[in-house]
Amino acid sequence: MTAARLSSDLFNAALFAYIAAMVLSFAYLAFRKRPFHVAALTVGWIGVSANIGSIVARGVAAHRTPWGNMYEFSSLLACLVVLAYLVLVEGRYKVQTVGGFVFAFAIFTMALATSFFYVGPTDLLPALNSYWRQIHVTSMIVATSLLATGCVFTILYLVKVRSERREVSVLRSQDPPPILGGSVDADAPPDYVPGADEPVGAATSPAPRRGLPPSATLDRLAYRFIQFGFPIWTFGVMCGAIWAQQTWGRYWGWDPKETWSFITWVIFACYLHARATAGWRGTKAAGIALVGFVSLFVTYYAVNLWIAGLHTYAK
Amino acid sequence: MSSPASRYTLRQSVALVWRTLRSMRTALVLLGLLALASAVGSLLPQIPNSPERVGAYLVDHPFWGQLFLRGGFFDVFGSWWFSLVTALLFVSLVACLIPRSRAMLRAIRQRPVQAKELEALPHHVAFEVAVPPEVAVERAQRVLRRRMYRVAAAPDGRGVAAEKGVLRETGSLTFHWAFLLLLIAVVIGKGTGYTGHATIVEGQTWTDAAFNYDGDLRTGRFSSGQHTGAGIHLIDFEDRFRTSGIPMDFASEVELLDANGNPVRRDEVRINHPVGFDGLRIFQYGFGWAPIVVVRGGGATLSDGPVVMVQDAGADGNQLAAPGEGFVKLPTLRPQYAISLELIPDSTAFIQSLISGVPQPMTQVRAPFMRYTLWQGRILDPSLNGLDTRLMHKVSTGIVGRGWTVDVEHGCVVSGTSGALPKGLARTVCPAGAPAPALTLSFPELRQYTRLQVSKDPTVPFVLGAAILILLGLVAAMYSSRRKVWVRAEAREEGTVLQVGGYALQRKDRFEEEFPKLVADLRAATGGGRREREREEAAAR
Repeated sequence: MTAARLSSDLFNAALFAYIAAMVLSFAYLAFRKRPFHVAALTVGWIGVSANIGSIVARGVAAHRTPWGNMYEFSSLLACLVVLAYLVLVEGRYKVQTVGGFVFAFAIFTMALATSFFYVGPTDLLPALNSYWRQIHVTSMIVATSLLATGCVFTILYLVKVRSERREVSVLRSQDPPPILGGSVDADAPPDYVPGADEPVGAATSPAPRRGLPPSATLDRLAYRFIQFGFPIWTFGVMCGAIWAQQTWGRYWGWDPKETWSFITWVIFACYLHARATAGWRGTKAAGIALVGFVSLFVTYYAVNLWIAGLHTYAK
Repeated sequence: MSSPASRYTLRQSVALVWRTLRSMRTALVLLGLLALASAVGSLLPQIPNSPERVGAYLVDHPFWGQLFLRGGFFDVFGSWWFSLVTALLFVSLVACLIPRSRAMLRAIRQRPVQAKELEALPHHVAFEVAVPPEVAVERAQRVLRRRMYRVAAAPDGRGVAAEKGVLRETGSLTFHWAFLLLLIAVVIGKGTGYTGHATIVEGQTWTDAAFNYDGDLRTGRFSSGQHTGAGIHLIDFEDRFRTSGIPMDFASEVELLDANGNPVRRDEVRINHPVGFDGLRIFQYGFGWAPIVVVRGGGATLSDGPVVMVQDAGADGNQLAAPGEGFVKLPTLRPQYAISLELIPDSTAFIQSLISGVPQPMTQVRAPFMRYTLWQGRILDPSLNGLDTRLMHKVSTGIVGRGWTVDVEHGCVVSGTSGALPKGLARTVCPAGAPAPALTLSFPELRQYTRLQVSKDPTVPFVLGAAILILLGLVAAMYSSRRKVWVRAEAREEGTVLQVGGYALQRKDRFEEEFPKLVADLRAATGGGRREREREEAAAR
């Protein structure tokens, strides 16, 4: 079997593993049965391994680092997003219920890659043959995966905020629950148990915890990922400028890809500032992050597909 | 309902405008506008990048096109409103940065302030140690210093105030000031620099002067028009291709000359490997064929030199499969003559294209030849970029192989053998005993030319420096956090009670892990504490 063939087989294996992991993750989110979660993680790790294998085999087949066109970027992006989820969200932050959305994102990316961007492993144009390419492209993909993960959490945050607000308004509209646990006695007996005079069976009763983690957790996760990705994005854009200076003799030329990477940078800069501004934090800042998400996708896909420019070689 | 805005005095209005500019909301709106304007600039064709697409747009959508043209939408990044938004952002940034920088300088000079009531802090621990208070305070200072805290001892010698994380504000300010520096450097660099293209044939020398550029010299707004006079002599151009026609590498071997024409050094300009010389940056940009063409008539040499051939990418975009096109103009003759030339550098690939119907890239020299057409009449355009034949008529056509001399007027070969030229190409030898030809064309040699981009941008190092500062500031601001810690020592019986309190302004979860470690260090340094008597009050605030 050739390396190229192996690469595309492993790519498909990874795609199917991610689909299985997504289904298992959603099952865990819905039913909260431990085995679903364990299975989702196991299948997720299998998928990542296959994905990494596919990328390595691709590199062997093309005799170069395997991030030279949109197909290869997409494969790497999916791999990094899932890795970021498994290592950071599951491992470090111990948030276990959002995996399905992350896998869904990876599947979407990979499906786009196979259906629109597939090309065989080939050589690159000489203009792409620079070590700045490695640095620029690597950091752009890493940053994209981090920002995209952050944006997945932003969407979940907004969903959760809505449902939390609905819960609060439902609570407010109801009559105050009757006090069932007994009355407060001024002459409390010496064997007084604190909490006994708390309402029992009220609407605040901890319902079986289903659904997403609390909105504060999701917001913090979103912020962490964007905060992590933003400097890397900045670095990546700068490396791109250095490379452009070497290749085309100008570090910035408002080429569509450059322009959109700048727009994305500006929007996420807005997000970071908004979070530090009274009256803007919370859902407003999250709204800005969503605009950033859209811009990220325009930068990543739309520019190559619909807008002509110097980055068209990355089709 | 009363108190209209007109009540403001001038001073108040200025203050109000200044306050508005300083607010984060203004900065956010301006950043948003910048993003929006850039998006427009990427969606509409732009004059500096693709003038031909702007022209097409104007033809297809006359109304909107005119509207966009008037509004500067076809040159967003050079338009007055884009500059206005950038300038406002500048002002807003400065207005915000100056007070912040002053406050930070004050904060750096200030020693950490002592605190009482450490029990009220979010993190608080008290334990007993065996050493006297003065010793305990001194050792606590040492521990805190080792952990990179800025430390100040209380005047009574019984307490320590410490803080860490100036880097956060410093980083943030560095980032913003560097951003400002970057914008200024970009504006100055673009304003005073220039960039253009130089075409140099192998064996020729080019000099940096305004009229030597290929017509598209872009100069900045405040450029003085001074050129360096430096020279570039092309020794050799080399291109390497895969058999499929995929280019692999292009390199121009050059000798660089100073303004007096003295050779300074040799260098190689390659893709991704520009050469810096005398404040100029020289980049490999393009290349092509330049056959040496000699035209003789009436016993004199009328034209002798390389003809720069342009290969036009056809509808299929395969530039390498297209023949090169060039012109020789003889305006001194009466009537005037012009010769248009079509170069086939690789006749083998050319024949293959004809047979297979698939254009083959011509990347190597194999029996090159040219098809020529002689025109007679009036030359309307003296430039060598094209030939306007409206006032001319065709006299003859024919082919000339390398090493041949042909009689252009009669379209026959005077001297030269067909050599490796494919059979079937029409080759008419001039009849013996015919009168000496009036006009001959020779093709002794096929050379290559290189197209180099020559740019001068004096602020590139500053832009790079600012970019590095931006990055360092950003990382410092994002990943450091401000923490404050206080220690109080009270003498009690034979020992001392040490109270430690602290809190973090950012990254509180990280501090939750750091604080117990700090306490453990303090405990170890002050000779431990009797654990049974300690009270831990990690309050949940």
